[in-house]
Amino acid sequence: MRRSFPKTAFVLAILPALHGAAWAQGTLRIGMTASDIPLTTGQADNGGEGMRFMGYTVYDALINWDLSSATKPSDLVPGLALSWGLDAADATKTKWLFKLRPGVKFHDGSAFTADSVVWNLDKLLKNDAPQFDQRQSAQGKSRIPAVAFYRAVDPMTLEIVTKSPDATLPYQIAWILMSSPANWEKQGKSWDNVAKAPSGTGPWKLASFVPRERAEMVPNPDYWDKLRVPKLDKLVLIPLPEPNARVAALRSGQVDWIEAPAPDAAKSLTGAGFKIVTNAYPHNWTWHLSRAEASPWNDIRVRKAANLAVDREGMKELLAGMMIPAEGFYPPGHQWFGKPTFKLEYKPEEAKKLMKEAGYTPEKPLVTKMLISPSGSGQMQPLPMNELVQQNLADIGIKVDFEVVEWNQLINIWRAGAKDPSSRGGTGMNYTYFIQDPFTGFMRHLQCNLVPPAGTNWGYYCDPEMDKLFDQVRTTFDPKDQTAILQKIHEKYVDEALFLMVTHDVNPRAMTAKVKGFVQAQNWFQDFSTITMDK
Amino acid sequence: MLLYALKRLVYVLPVAFGVSIVCFMLVHLAPGDPLTAIMPIDATAQQQAEMRAAYGFDKPLPVQYGLWLWKIFHGDLGSSIASGRPVASEVGRAVGNSLILASLATLIGFGFGAFFGFVAGYFRGSTLDRLASLVSILGVSVPHYWLGMVMVIVFSALLGWLPSTGAGPGGSTAWRPDWEHLRYIILPAITMSAIPMGIISRTVRALVADILSQEFVQALRAKGMGEWDVFKHVVRNAAPTALAVMGLQLGYLLGGSILIETVFAWPGTGFLLNTAIFQRDLPLLQGAILVLALFFVGLNLIVDVLQTTLDPRIQRG
Amino acid sequence: MSAIDAGAIVTVNPVRSEGYWSSVGRRLVRDPVAMLALALILLIVLAAIFAPYIAPADPFRGSMVRRLRPIGTPGYPLGTDELGRDLLSRLIYGGRLSLFMGVTPVLLAFMVGSSIGIFAAYVGGWVNTVVMRVIDVFFAFPSVLLAIALSGALGAGILNSIVSLTVVFVPQIARIAESVTTQTRNRDFVEAARISGARTLTIVRVHVLGNVLGPIFVYATSLISVSMILSSGLSFLGLGVKPPEPEWGLMLNTLRTAIYSQPLVAALPGAMIFITSISFNLFSDGLRGAMEVRQ
Repeated sequence: MRRSFPKTAFVLAILPALHGAAWAQGTLRIGMTASDIPLTTGQADNGGEGMRFMGYTVYDALINWDLSSATKPSDLVPGLALSWGLDAADATKTKWLFKLRPGVKFHDGSAFTADSVVWNLDKLLKNDAPQFDQRQSAQGKSRIPAVAFYRAVDPMTLEIVTKSPDATLPYQIAWILMSSPANWEKQGKSWDNVAKAPSGTGPWKLASFVPRERAEMVPNPDYWDKLRVPKLDKLVLIPLPEPNARVAALRSGQVDWIEAPAPDAAKSLTGAGFKIVTNAYPHNWTWHLSRAEASPWNDIRVRKAANLAVDREGMKELLAGMMIPAEGFYPPGHQWFGKPTFKLEYKPEEAKKLMKEAGYTPEKPLVTKMLISPSGSGQMQPLPMNELVQQNLADIGIKVDFEVVEWNQLINIWRAGAKDPSSRGGTGMNYTYFIQDPFTGFMRHLQCNLVPPAGTNWGYYCDPEMDKLFDQVRTTFDPKDQTAILQKIHEKYVDEALFLMVTHDVNPRAMTAKVKGFVQAQNWFQDFSTITMDK
Repeated sequence: MLLYALKRLVYVLPVAFGVSIVCFMLVHLAPGDPLTAIMPIDATAQQQAEMRAAYGFDKPLPVQYGLWLWKIFHGDLGSSIASGRPVASEVGRAVGNSLILASLATLIGFGFGAFFGFVAGYFRGSTLDRLASLVSILGVSVPHYWLGMVMVIVFSALLGWLPSTGAGPGGSTAWRPDWEHLRYIILPAITMSAIPMGIISRTVRALVADILSQEFVQALRAKGMGEWDVFKHVVRNAAPTALAVMGLQLGYLLGGSILIETVFAWPGTGFLLNTAIFQRDLPLLQGAILVLALFFVGLNLIVDVLQTTLDPRIQRG
Repeated sequence: MSAIDAGAIVTVNPVRSEGYWSSVGRRLVRDPVAMLALALILLIVLAAIFAPYIAPADPFRGSMVRRLRPIGTPGYPLGTDELGRDLLSRLIYGGRLSLFMGVTPVLLAFMVGSSIGIFAAYVGGWVNTVVMRVIDVFFAFPSVLLAIALSGALGAGILNSIVSLTVVFVPQIARIAESVTTQTRNRDFVEAARISGARTLTIVRVHVLGNVLGPIFVYATSLISVSMILSSGLSFLGLGVKPPEPEWGLMLNTLRTAIYSQPLVAALPGAMIFITSISFNLFSDGLRGAMEVRQ
């Protein structure tokens, strides 16, 4: 436990006195970038934003993210599990035991036990279970590829067996949210009904929602972590997918907080007294390069030249400073960054020299095609940003044609792979990655046996040396040793210029001066419990 | 009269059938897999196949059409892929919101359009006519999404008088006709009214000029009939057609408001369609277009029958 | 936006002297508004054609250090866009795609639609009925809805946008063509020709085409403005042109985020659509006026 007992006891003691009076601290209305209220039944849709607002608010995972610090990358902390680890008696290193948190109740009053976890895993993984839910399964199943078997050992102990030794299991489990089995029974065993009256264990309860327009949450005063009982009276979520509409809504007082304000509106917002908060988080904006036969990117000189040609400071200007120029695949300062020798700097002359060695000049350029999308979760401002990279590359002798496809279609092509006809001969795609853990950060992009359709190694990259490193990560259970291997992987990513690494998003959000107490964690997810609103 | 209405109804049925085929085929023109939107980013081939089967996308097209039509007759437009909610309720809510906006826009457009058109037609050839005609031509020529942007720049960004997005402080479910909510509808409604204003003023101008040029009006005038009586005569004769055009405009605005609703984030059918297109939510796209087109067909029918009732001069076979 | 436009159809004068078109031309020349509109159209078209010679800067090259400059910046008379590209040059070049994508669907629909309409009217009978019922189906969709639904389904792209708009306009033109042809066909002078033994083809060529194409053409010109607005609207929604191509609708879309920092610059591409659209409308009105006047 990271919090001391006496402190908790104290809060418990004064809780009844505080409740109602001092805690009546206003309503926070947030304009989201999603076009709809994320799925409310447990495993939220709408990507990272859905989990941020409808996942870790209403629900908990066995293992949560520590969202309390703005200054260091966030790590895993106990959620509905108090502790977890390999079963010492098991020589295969595949059997994990989770000690669950006692005394936790769902919003509907039913108790959380190991059976609830089994029930929730069945909901995602067991197609013939009565509570199996296709929608939640679609969101959750692929998050836990390691899980082979699970059972309740006793009401407070859960056992999970992995397919092979896999040290990344805790990161996978942090995706899986626990909804109430009793509530599902009560709602006539219908997930559609549960969607209207969901029940989790999280710090917030969903009070009401109108599809596509509004969701209202109220605090869960009985939350098990008393320090994270929300201080606000109400949290309101409003989907506003259009960047200008979000800015306008903030300015007109319709919302108090917006996600991802348009960079060009930033100056006028700060000028009008709003504050813009930003922070690094594990996100990158890259061109994922094809390594299929005949791809020009198989030449390391071309890859390096492209990485040296991008004017990242110019892009920072475009984004009103709201980005972190890439120095690698992970943001600088990340614990997995390591010490790569190839520096991602803006050196067009050096880039031209490399291109010349590879046989291309600005007059006789390399002509190739990139797949981009006009919008998308985490894609930042894809059109002007890609146009800028296009200009930069033209200067050193790479002439890029864009194939603009809609975001969901781009995801489709991303799954199909660079060799699929749907990639239309594109030798790369602009894709932004959620890189919070070793699997999502490294393995899924470049592991040999994850080429389509088995996985999302879009570019058909395969390097036995890299695979060996991935295997080491999986079988190394000591966190420090594991970090050392991950650093080695990252160094290889950068030194061999495996991607065109451009920038990291800083998760900008704009809010009125009335919003107090928000700590922006270096994470895709955030904690809303600490926030209050000035009158 | 009743016979005429029935005749029209019989004529409308094959059109409605054709509309349903077009709506169905429309979304099957598209390349790509409609289920991508909800599939997790790392879904395997097997998961994808399971999902396609769950939505019935693995069956041949005619079978899918048959099933789709069968369900529609039972009031079931299917479920949205992106949200899982019934399409019927999604579209129903959006149609309500659009109806509020489109009705107000039509009223504003009709008011100004009829006024300008009347003035122009009454004083045909005068400076007033040219001025009124200019206003009407501005109305039909302006790119309405740009007009919306300009309105937002002036009244929201520069002056800060009116909110520029959404249906109101509490969303559309809490919509009430009070100032707090009407503030939100002003900019989109005025923007949207530009089109019907232009068209109605053109129509009214032509009608009025036509009626005034009829020989018997001129004869009556020569006999000393007062201007007031002439005015009444003109209004009585121009009203049925003008009202019919207004009715049709309501239908156009309801289905054609996608750009304006997108600019103002108004939670109506246009906004819903835009979302459906960009999420490739086929059932929602199909359902929304079908409902709008059928609404339009129905409106046409009503306008047609009413116009025949109101205007005895029109004889139809 | 609507096809139901009471003033849109020209009443045909059946008997025309040889000098009919030249008198239409004379009347048109005397109409100052139509001439001004024509001059504006010619100016925009010529600017688009000769863009490489008159644009002060490369429309594709920009610089981040001079992005979103206001109107009147030295060297950038109309300011710069979000990537620091000269806006005047982009507006001049933008006319190429905007005009092409606005005019092409009307031209295509004019060819296809009038063929269908004239064919249906001339053959008559059940063929006519079937064709007109199919057209009725398309009339059941408001044009904006149909255009957006079609190009939304087909996906973004110049070609898809042109195809969608052509499909929208074909039924409208076909219906006008059918009704004008039917009217003309039943007119006395056609009957007279038939009785006097003229071959069917001759009748179609000389009388029908001569008397119907004019009104259809005028109707088609009135559609150009709608088509311009719609095609730029599709690009505005992200369903038309791809970047970095300059096109007014797309430029308006990408400049939307600048409405708080450079509102005037942000509004310029839309103003171009407006000016072009109103010029086409005024010219079309003038043309109709010139043809309508009774001799």
